[in-house]
Amino acid sequence: MAEELLKVDSLKTVFRTEDGTARAVDGVSFTVGRGETVGLVGESGCGKSVTALSIMRLITDPPGRIESGSVIFEGRDLLSISEKEMRKVRGNDISIVFQEPLSSLNPVFTCGEQIREAIALHQKLGRGESKKKAIEMLRLVRIPDPEKRYGSYPHQMSGGMRQRVMIAMALSCQPKLLIADEPSTALDVSVQAQIIELLAELRDSMDMAILLITHDLAVVAQMADRVVVMYAGAVVEESPVRDLFASPAHPYTKGLIDSLPKLGQYLDRLPMIPGTVPDPIDLPPGCRFSDRCPRRFEKCAAEPPLFDLAGGRRARCWLREREGL
Amino acid sequence: MRGGRSIWSAGWSRFRRNRLAMAGAVTVLILYLAAVFAPMLTPYDPVSHGRLPEMRHQPPSREHLLGTDKFGRDVLTRIVYGARVSLTVSFLAVALSVVLGSVTGAVAGYSGGVVDAALMRIVDALMSIPRLFLMLTCIALFSRSMLLVIVLLGATGWMGTARLVRGQILSLRSREFVSAAEALGAGGGRIVLRHLIPNTITVIIVSATLKIGLIILVEASLGFLGLGVPPPTPSWGMMVYEGREVLLDAWWVSTFPGLAIIVTVVGYNLLGDGLRDSFDPIQFT
Repeated sequence: MAEELLKVDSLKTVFRTEDGTARAVDGVSFTVGRGETVGLVGESGCGKSVTALSIMRLITDPPGRIESGSVIFEGRDLLSISEKEMRKVRGNDISIVFQEPLSSLNPVFTCGEQIREAIALHQKLGRGESKKKAIEMLRLVRIPDPEKRYGSYPHQMSGGMRQRVMIAMALSCQPKLLIADEPSTALDVSVQAQIIELLAELRDSMDMAILLITHDLAVVAQMADRVVVMYAGAVVEESPVRDLFASPAHPYTKGLIDSLPKLGQYLDRLPMIPGTVPDPIDLPPGCRFSDRCPRRFEKCAAEPPLFDLAGGRRARCWLREREGL
Repeated sequence: MRGGRSIWSAGWSRFRRNRLAMAGAVTVLILYLAAVFAPMLTPYDPVSHGRLPEMRHQPPSREHLLGTDKFGRDVLTRIVYGARVSLTVSFLAVALSVVLGSVTGAVAGYSGGVVDAALMRIVDALMSIPRLFLMLTCIALFSRSMLLVIVLLGATGWMGTARLVRGQILSLRSREFVSAAEALGAGGGRIVLRHLIPNTITVIIVSATLKIGLIILVEASLGFLGLGVPPPTPSWGMMVYEGREVLLDAWWVSTFPGLAIIVTVVGYNLLGDGLRDSFDPIQFT
């Protein structure tokens, strides 16, 4: 593995609600190497986005709170530095692209102005210079006619264009890590592919790492080097992308992969995982996946640890203790 | 919609098609022009008394289009010069209240928690003080001047704006572009000034325009009570008051300044309604 860039260790983020404390992220650990793309996968509500926001320290407090753990970025724990220091990290060292490109842009400023602001936040450049750089960024994300598009308002652009603008903003200071939170989910299928392709290209040309958050396994297969699978606020499996698809080590991962439609195979119904994600306020005892798991056995009443497996893989399942991999 | 149409140009084209709004805008514009160019519009002096006794209470005539008052001063002249007072006082008072209200509301809305609660309770407390009573007390305590009237009107009228802006900021704060700006490393002050206030500016302008009408009325009431801008500077409220004793014999002394107040307030309200219909930000989100 490449040199370690980000190390999330035993991260716990909770939300206090009227019904109780929701343990949205419950002891998550993983690493991202320099220039590496790590997919963070799971169903809605499994804690993927909260993990991302916790890394950026953008959890709204109250009701949210990062309870414990550490986020080591280039040897520094981001959870213990001052807010002022953290502001220098955001957008400069670590950037994030959100899912919804329309609402992520300020409706009263032109797209170009917003990219220019992102540049001006971290670099001391004159107005003309930062504008030139913003136009360059627009060109980099393949927006046609960037000089003219600089003056367009968000509502005058298509969804794909807006997401390109968001990417331009996020990358304008050459971050070392880009967190892409469902970057293509809100877009048309054809545009999705373009955005993913663009991200992959920019990753290679700018030598940055990507933490790709998605529920779309196809996107993960296309882009990621390694995959971290989350379920109910915890990591259940971590594998290189090939191994994950070839031999999933956790029954949940297997369920996810089996529920994908496959080319050349006709089925009346796609297989699915029965049941729903447990309520983070009221997590079941033992293995959190046990009540949906087809291979449940006695041991699942106790919470399994994350077993280290061959090939740098990890899985949180008692089966791995019994059967190995 | 393609091409460089901003919120402003789109709103302006909607505004132009609205006849009532345009009528209001033209009225307000004419009033400002009249106030600025007052000395060119009328040959008479608005304040000097040194006139013959028979010039008092002259009915409207060719020489004095709107008649004269008890000192023989031309009513039209005093209305035109009075526009300077009404428009200046109302504009500056509203500007002051908008700044106070927007800043308070924005800080409360963005900070949330204890700061928000404290600021809003102060607003609640201030709102529960009867406005006219507070102003009368202050005017009784300090010497009367135009500045005092402006400051009092401004300082007692910002709470509504604070609530309005706070509400807007609260709904904007949870929008993703604010998180996006935070994720790019923008600080609190920058987010309020660059991202939140510009998104509420249309609401602020609309409410300020509608508020000017109200302020003109309050200023006129103060003048009528003899507590507005000190004489001999002409102010519409005071002119209505001065004509009150002779209403049956010389109706024009009170009636025309009264009409001026009505026309101005209606003009501003039409303008404000038109701005609201044209620039309502809900249509753009």
